[in-house]
Amino acid sequence: MCRDASVHNQARQWPDAERCEGDATDVVAPPGHWHLAWQAADGSAPFSLLIDRRAFVAALILLLALLTASFAYLAMGSSSLPPQAVLAALVGRGDMMAVFLVQELRLPRLAAACLTGAAFGVAGCLMQTLARNRLATPGIIGIDNGATAFAVASVIGLGVSLAPPAMALVGATTAAALTFGLAAGGGTRGYRFIVAGIGIGAVFGAITQLLMAKVHIDTANAAYPWTVGSLNARPAGAVMLLAVGLPLGLGAALWLTRALSLMRFSDAVASALGLRVSQRRWQVLMVSVLLTGLAVAVAGPVGLIGLIGPEIARSLSSPRGVPVVASALAGALVMVLADLAGRVLLSPLEIPVGIVTAVVGGPWLLWILLRPASRNLA
Amino acid sequence: MTRHQLATRDLTLCHGRATVIDRLALSLPVGKVTAIVGPNGCGKSTLLAGLSRLHAPKQGTVLLDGRDIQQLPARELARRLALLPQEATAPEGLTVAELVRFGRQPHQGWLRQWSAEDQRVVHKALAEADVDELADRPLDTLSGGQRQRAWIAMTIAQQTPLLLLDEPTSALDLGHQIEVFELVRRLAAEGRTVVMVLHDLASACRYADHLLALHNGQLVATGPPGEVVTTELVRRLYDIDCTLIPDPATGSLLLANVRRASRHSVEA
Repeated sequence: MCRDASVHNQARQWPDAERCEGDATDVVAPPGHWHLAWQAADGSAPFSLLIDRRAFVAALILLLALLTASFAYLAMGSSSLPPQAVLAALVGRGDMMAVFLVQELRLPRLAAACLTGAAFGVAGCLMQTLARNRLATPGIIGIDNGATAFAVASVIGLGVSLAPPAMALVGATTAAALTFGLAAGGGTRGYRFIVAGIGIGAVFGAITQLLMAKVHIDTANAAYPWTVGSLNARPAGAVMLLAVGLPLGLGAALWLTRALSLMRFSDAVASALGLRVSQRRWQVLMVSVLLTGLAVAVAGPVGLIGLIGPEIARSLSSPRGVPVVASALAGALVMVLADLAGRVLLSPLEIPVGIVTAVVGGPWLLWILLRPASRNLA
Repeated sequence: MTRHQLATRDLTLCHGRATVIDRLALSLPVGKVTAIVGPNGCGKSTLLAGLSRLHAPKQGTVLLDGRDIQQLPARELARRLALLPQEATAPEGLTVAELVRFGRQPHQGWLRQWSAEDQRVVHKALAEADVDELADRPLDTLSGGQRQRAWIAMTIAQQTPLLLLDEPTSALDLGHQIEVFELVRRLAAEGRTVVMVLHDLASACRYADHLLALHNGQLVATGPPGEVVTTELVRRLYDIDCTLIPDPATGSLLLANVRRASRHSVEA
């Protein structure tokens, strides 16, 4: 910052004629923003923040919706509870059975849904921004499948004793590396990258199926949740790891928001505005792959969340910025709703959340592809 | 006032194995408009990309105030040198004012997101590029000329002493071209150094103070248009014959009686 300041002064000296001390007009926030500034003693404002009103309101709406959905999630299920009973059970009072149901069964699963949904949402938002393409989510470019194949391999025990989360991370990284390697030359832009990713995803999907077919039925059953995406069998260690990794990833994504909003311009423009494009791109990619790997380790490939979440976030938020927080909230919201639907619709049977999102997400994907305003896909 | 000087030394730029710019040494006149002209594929845009660090040199250096631009921090470079590339794309739904505010990015930071200075400069940039009345219009609703002026306003808001434009008028009709050229002249009159890649030699003669003529990656002529543009140069660059006459109103050179070169033995 110190070095920046000196250069800043130098730039301000130019051109001299423009600089007149008299016009110390009040700072007005640009339309649609709140302006927060800390005045220094000499009247200058060394610190100033701009808050995009629409993005803020969008995040607030999504947060409220998430809280409502979470409450419904705790109340509804094979045995439904009235709202008062849920509140009582949350603080440990009331019927023992209700307390057990809410605190021991539903709350941990709700937490897992929120964490994985948010992670998928942010990972999707980052990857879409990186590739400047709404189809380029980790689920579609094969990263989910890579993580799944490795996680399944570790469960089935192919002589590897690594825990599923670590293996999922390795798988996510491998798939990302392969996709980027195959698309080399084309960069992260355009269909070459997407097509390479779809191919890699298909290969890893096939490997997963092959692994499942080769092992004993009980082992295959143990690995099955990972192949469809389910919150029913959550490895405790994986949830803890995600609970640590998500705040870190979200923090990193927030730290990158200014870079992300520049990345939406063409590379030449972004670089001319002072963005270190390739360096930032690596950072964004790493955060996205990390979040995907950690989330897959918990819930399996529910990658369509990464498509739907950011899409909702963008439609509610303003076009001025990249909606990182809103994507996290929308991802969590969709995950909670999808898992709730999976638990309730065919109760007492349970539909894995990955199947619910596929049923909803498939048509959504078609709609994105077919609607006339999809000119920014290429 | 610091005079910001852009120069190259022994600059070689390559696309893969093909050498596009070959050991170029030049120095751009400060506070003037320089036009880079030459036939398609002569390396004009590559040279501009090299000057703005988008294209890393194979050999040699680009010097900004005597320092190698590869060594400059990205943001510091963005405060001294602005570039408008040929195919500039912006996120969907952005308005003109929002685009122009992005020009302040190199001057801002996480804890310095909007200052009185930013406000003043954005205001002035909008007025200077004559897009203040379009400030709240989304970019995708503008005509080509308006959009180009909005982009130039963004580079003005960057407040850089150096401004590089890659074919700023290529997709514009005559009226819009003149708007952009007159804006460029106004910017130079304020002391900015402007470098632009141009297709049209007559526009270059009319609006540039200094010409760099490139052919096959080599500098074949450099100097004021009135001194360096000759029928021989035109034939060498574009393989055409013409008659050069001074514009009766402005005195700048015009190309008349343009036809394909009669002798096709002109070296490629």
